[in-house]
Amino acid sequence: MAPRYSLAQERMLSQSGVNVRSRDVFGLRCLPGECVLQRAVMVRKKLTAREGRGWVSGTLFCTHFRVAFVPQDSPKPDDNADPVLLGDHDVALASIEKVVVVGPNRTKLVTPNSSLKFTPEELVLYCRDLRVICFLFDRLTPDAQVIEITYTIAKTYQPPKPGSVLSFQNAALGSVEMKQFLSNRRRDTHMNWFESASDWEQELERCGATGWRVSSVNDRFEMSTSLPRSIVVPQKVLDTELKKSFAHFHEGRIPRWCWRHPRGSDLLRMAGFQNNIYHEKDDIKNLEMILFGCQSSLCVVVELDEELPSPADIQLSHGRLRALCLGDISTSVSVPDDRWLSTLESTHWLDYTRACLRKASEVACLLRGGHLTVALQEADDRDMGCVVSSLVQVMCDPHCRTQRGFQGLVQKEWVMAGHRFSSRINYHRDNDKEEAPVFLLFLDCVWQISSQYPTRFQLTEDFLLALHDSIHLPLFSSFLANCQRERCKRSQNLGQSYTPVNGWRDVDSSSDPSDPPLPSVWDWSLQYSKHRRDRFTQPVPPIPSLQPLLNGNLNTHPDTHRPSDTVPGSVFLLSRGTFSCPVNLLPWRAGSSGVYKKSHRRAASSENVPGLERLLKAWAMAELPQGVTSTSAPQGPLDPYEPLLPLLMGPCMGLWKECYLRGALHAQAFSHPVSANHPHPVERLAREVQQLKDELARASSGADPIPPPKTAEPRRTDTNLNQNANNGTFLFPASRPQSASAPRAAPPPSSANRQTSRGPPPPPASAPPSRHGHHRDNGGGNKHTFLFGHPPAAEPRPDQRYYPAPNAAKLPKSNGSSVAS
Amino acid sequence: MSSLSPALPPPARTGPPRPSRSSRCPPSPWRPPQSSPRSSGSLACIKEPLYHPTMQIFLIQLINLFVCFIAQDVTYFCPFIGALSGTVLVTNYRLFFRCMDREPAFVLDLPLGVVSRVEKIGGASNRGDVSYGLVCKDMRNLRFAHKQMEDTLRKSIFEVLVKFAFPVSNGLQIYAFEYGQVFPENGWKVYDALSEYKRQGIPNESWRITKVNDHYEVCDTYPSTLAVPVNIPDEELKRVAAFRAKGRIPVLSWIHPESQATVTRCSQPMVGVNGKRSKEDEKYLQAIMDANAQSHKLFIFDARPSVNAAANKMKGGGYESEDAYQNAELVFLDIHNIHVMRESLRKLKDVVYPNIEDSHWLSNLESTHWLEHIKLILAGALRIADKVESGKTSVVVHCSDGWDRTGQLTSLAMLMLDGYYRTIRGFEVLLEKEWLSFGHRFQLRLGHGDKNHTDADRSPVFIQFIDCVWQLTRQFPAAFEFNEYFLVTILDHLYSCLFGTFLCNSEQQRFNVRTVSLWSYVNSQLEEFTNPMYVNYSNHVLFPVVSLRHLELWVGYYIRWNPRMRPQEPVHQRHKELLAKRAELQKRVDELQREVTNRSASSSSERTGSPTRSITPVQTFV
Repeated sequence: MAPRYSLAQERMLSQSGVNVRSRDVFGLRCLPGECVLQRAVMVRKKLTAREGRGWVSGTLFCTHFRVAFVPQDSPKPDDNADPVLLGDHDVALASIEKVVVVGPNRTKLVTPNSSLKFTPEELVLYCRDLRVICFLFDRLTPDAQVIEITYTIAKTYQPPKPGSVLSFQNAALGSVEMKQFLSNRRRDTHMNWFESASDWEQELERCGATGWRVSSVNDRFEMSTSLPRSIVVPQKVLDTELKKSFAHFHEGRIPRWCWRHPRGSDLLRMAGFQNNIYHEKDDIKNLEMILFGCQSSLCVVVELDEELPSPADIQLSHGRLRALCLGDISTSVSVPDDRWLSTLESTHWLDYTRACLRKASEVACLLRGGHLTVALQEADDRDMGCVVSSLVQVMCDPHCRTQRGFQGLVQKEWVMAGHRFSSRINYHRDNDKEEAPVFLLFLDCVWQISSQYPTRFQLTEDFLLALHDSIHLPLFSSFLANCQRERCKRSQNLGQSYTPVNGWRDVDSSSDPSDPPLPSVWDWSLQYSKHRRDRFTQPVPPIPSLQPLLNGNLNTHPDTHRPSDTVPGSVFLLSRGTFSCPVNLLPWRAGSSGVYKKSHRRAASSENVPGLERLLKAWAMAELPQGVTSTSAPQGPLDPYEPLLPLLMGPCMGLWKECYLRGALHAQAFSHPVSANHPHPVERLAREVQQLKDELARASSGADPIPPPKTAEPRRTDTNLNQNANNGTFLFPASRPQSASAPRAAPPPSSANRQTSRGPPPPPASAPPSRHGHHRDNGGGNKHTFLFGHPPAAEPRPDQRYYPAPNAAKLPKSNGSSVAS
Repeated sequence: MSSLSPALPPPARTGPPRPSRSSRCPPSPWRPPQSSPRSSGSLACIKEPLYHPTMQIFLIQLINLFVCFIAQDVTYFCPFIGALSGTVLVTNYRLFFRCMDREPAFVLDLPLGVVSRVEKIGGASNRGDVSYGLVCKDMRNLRFAHKQMEDTLRKSIFEVLVKFAFPVSNGLQIYAFEYGQVFPENGWKVYDALSEYKRQGIPNESWRITKVNDHYEVCDTYPSTLAVPVNIPDEELKRVAAFRAKGRIPVLSWIHPESQATVTRCSQPMVGVNGKRSKEDEKYLQAIMDANAQSHKLFIFDARPSVNAAANKMKGGGYESEDAYQNAELVFLDIHNIHVMRESLRKLKDVVYPNIEDSHWLSNLESTHWLEHIKLILAGALRIADKVESGKTSVVVHCSDGWDRTGQLTSLAMLMLDGYYRTIRGFEVLLEKEWLSFGHRFQLRLGHGDKNHTDADRSPVFIQFIDCVWQLTRQFPAAFEFNEYFLVTILDHLYSCLFGTFLCNSEQQRFNVRTVSLWSYVNSQLEEFTNPMYVNYSNHVLFPVVSLRHLELWVGYYIRWNPRMRPQEPVHQRHKELLAKRAELQKRVDELQREVTNRSASSSSERTGSPTRSITPVQTFV
């Protein structure tokens, strides 16, 4: 049988190579141990708006880990480079949700058991991450290859079923070489992983949070199974006292410190109260101490369950949003345009993002007021608590708007705090009831803020998209467990032992290296090529300086008024935008015998409510022009800690089209030079600025007034200058013959330019720019011409129609002759 | 009147007054924050601030402006802030309201031209309050109230407003005729039909310029200069005119420089119920087709829904039958008429002003159908552009009279096809040509100075066009030389009646009328209107995505009065900063490079080869 034969042949092709990191003859760089199951040549891939639209032709592969696509003229991969799981055009089999083929006049959903009665012309892969990847088979593609690769993909991709996760992991990372590679991998030390006590101490120091300490009382997960090993509690509470408090909270999730606002307010998280029997005075005293932290004056409990969507709501809404954005997959029927807006509204997705942002804005405003404790309370403290606490920090803390800071934030508030990633993403398809894309809702909220404050973020939309897509790959330790305990257990099962001295993260050198822990999602270089990763951050840092070391005593702001009339121990509940102090807010105070009731009777009055409401009102007023002109004049120096409060009116909440409408094929109906979505001109401009800076650095080193009298020195300068000269061309297209003769309107059908553009990574900011830097942005000099700057006037431009003479009225009629192009 | 506090900050001696800047209720989103104050505010031409002692405000002195009315203790009911008490001043051009109680002072400044209707609300109550509403053409309503005036001041604000807001109805002159500001450039000279045709390569072997309409005899709504196929003599043109509604014969709008495919525009053929035919018209369209050697087909785009086109037969109009016109294919573009559009914009105003219902925002927006109409217009223009560009086929575009939808379609298609029209001057030429000279009935559609607000001829056709242009700029942010502020400015002066550009109905009416052109003002401060990210795409055709999924409501225009819609961040600012930074860095690179060159030249004997090829300078286009 032909297919079997070819399959065997492929195996031979890929495995008999001399190099273990073998290369398929058609240019696919296989992972160690990965073998090509099927291959089809002369296939065209449809490029999305973000990739520049149009088509690129190349070879399509199916391995047992991914569907890969290698464009025809992509540069020869470096065989010695570290393996990258997914190339720029690849999709992991685990991400595929449905495989659809389009034939003459029909569309068919392909399942592992289905048979094809026609030769497909188009292969469409619908992914869980809302991508839609479309391959077109040319007439030149052999029919047998087309059918075989369709079958192979349909049989190999993982339809959701319990137990498929492990086989997928093995396909990706199971080989000996891969394991070896992973076990030698160093993790990023520039971000905070929040795994050990010292990580938390580092964060306390960064925030200038005095009065708190890291407790290891939960080191063996005896106090709370879902909390991390290290938790931050008030300094004055001893571990022995602390231990008694766990019983009073759901799952033992006692109030823990998350973050301190530079004006001295602390953000806490906790679960709902339970076991409301308080026998001892000490019990109550401890609880009070834990809750009030070091502020001891005012605490606001923010109730999260009522106004925010439940995980079930989110799941339902997200499902509707998917259906709306992808259309009906099998019939390719989508919601008609004239009902698009109302259907979008009825998904409630935007309502939910608004609700989360509103809640986070309220909390951010409270924290801005200074010197109080805000405790977020959710019944189980594992979903919306994560959303709101991390959104507050994104709004208030510039550090959390950098890539590393954001990664740390997700580690702190999601991964370590015990968001049930595994259940919520439902990798194992074993509990559909628990499934809910809470984290994706959070990413959407972050995108909303970043789209309203684009220059205040160091991380980019590309980063958010990459994170969004990685969620759907069951490969990363970050998302495969529900809490730190599970994660530790898992790594122990994999042959790694926990050592009390170093913690579990240090691989015991004596243990078997064949079973390293799964990688973290933050190991981006494992997942994406360098030039994709370079897009994760803004090339030029945002205007307000980053990396501010938060100083807990930043009280220079005139507004800061410490509520002076505060009775120590006042507690208020913030719910639906208003403050109240219900009797049973703190159940131990409601008790009749409590000592605290007496001493705090006055505190329960609503004296302080107006002060707090003023804080919230300041937010509402800030939306009005009068407030704007006085407080946030754009000329004034920006207070980096002023929260980025998003506008929440209907017209201000946008749909994350770059994410949800990536697959909308009708959006790609026409190919054109540059769309709004493609690298924004300002991005390119920013890159140019960066490149100029590099150049300047080099030129100034070359022009060092007193060059050290070394013989080698001049030569080095020479090479640099030559590089400069080469590099200069990236700013301006050399008048290349092929670009000059390119057709006028449509982008070149061949992807020659485009492909070279993807190839070499851009130069890092510090390293000398590579000679190929100028290819990176968009290949052809032609493209550059219209993107950045006019070509020098002398350059011949036969493809130009109307020469933009300064005086339009006196145009020479020079265009009739340009028909030739 | 002396009750007003004299302890006000002294008037600034130079520059325009601050009040005029904050006069437009919200800080406008498109405004680059560090723009020179010179051009802030809606008023263009500021000579010198005139301090009005009674009003305690600085009037911007306009030539021939006179104060008609001043009233104190007037209450303005701002829908966002609440009731404000202050002073109102009405001139023959504008209404000025200032509230001193707030810091900073609240100022409302409104050209009377935007007023569509003045109405008394609730009549004079027993408390002696008089309350009026001003319904404005630019998506807002204003409400004022004041105490009943003394007998000595018989004239109420109401009467003054009615008089000066509707000068045409009251036998007065529109202010544009009195406004005599002189600018460095005369905007009326921006467009010259002959040089524009020349730019396109006309006349050529297939097309000629005709002066048959030199005295507007063939068609009084057409320009005097027309481009027609070479082999049709003027006499035949007159016979064709007889068969086309209002004599609007097919004439050239644009020609493809390579394929010679053309965009021609006209009005509907007078087919009537009996299916009348015209040999001359058929021959004429054949000649248009023949002028393009690349294609043996001609596409006729009828902008109307086919039902409406058929209904027009009852009134003597209709559409080309494919029997009569060999090789022609007729396509209906389903764009609705002016009445539907007017209604749609009215609904949109209800949805966005003053309050927006968050929870039903999208479905409310959908129910206005505004974006759907925008989509249909863009889709039609896209089809035209695609036929011309990709199909190399000539197209004829018409609707009923050929001055509303036809203008929208041809000008949008030209904007997609020809990068010249995406520059500021090119866009001005486009408007002058396709809208002004071809007789879009601005006076009728906008009702300048006319109190008959229910006039069925009014319609937001031109606003729709500008909205479509804005949608294009959203999808191709670097393809246009102008910015959003430019488009908003055009729409502001569409109503303001300060400039003569949008006043009359046709070139003939505009002839010999002495007004100032809007382009005089625009072109004397181009930097305000320039998109810093513009790059010359002139040789590319723009094909926008016209799905509703990718169209947006133009918040910066329709909802700009809502202070809560202010943009969070001036992105313009960052663009400009980056450009400045790039220029600065480039300069330093150049300097250092020069230094290196000098050094190496002085010590070149030690070295082999020339290390210094100069870096190509970065071009800055700010």
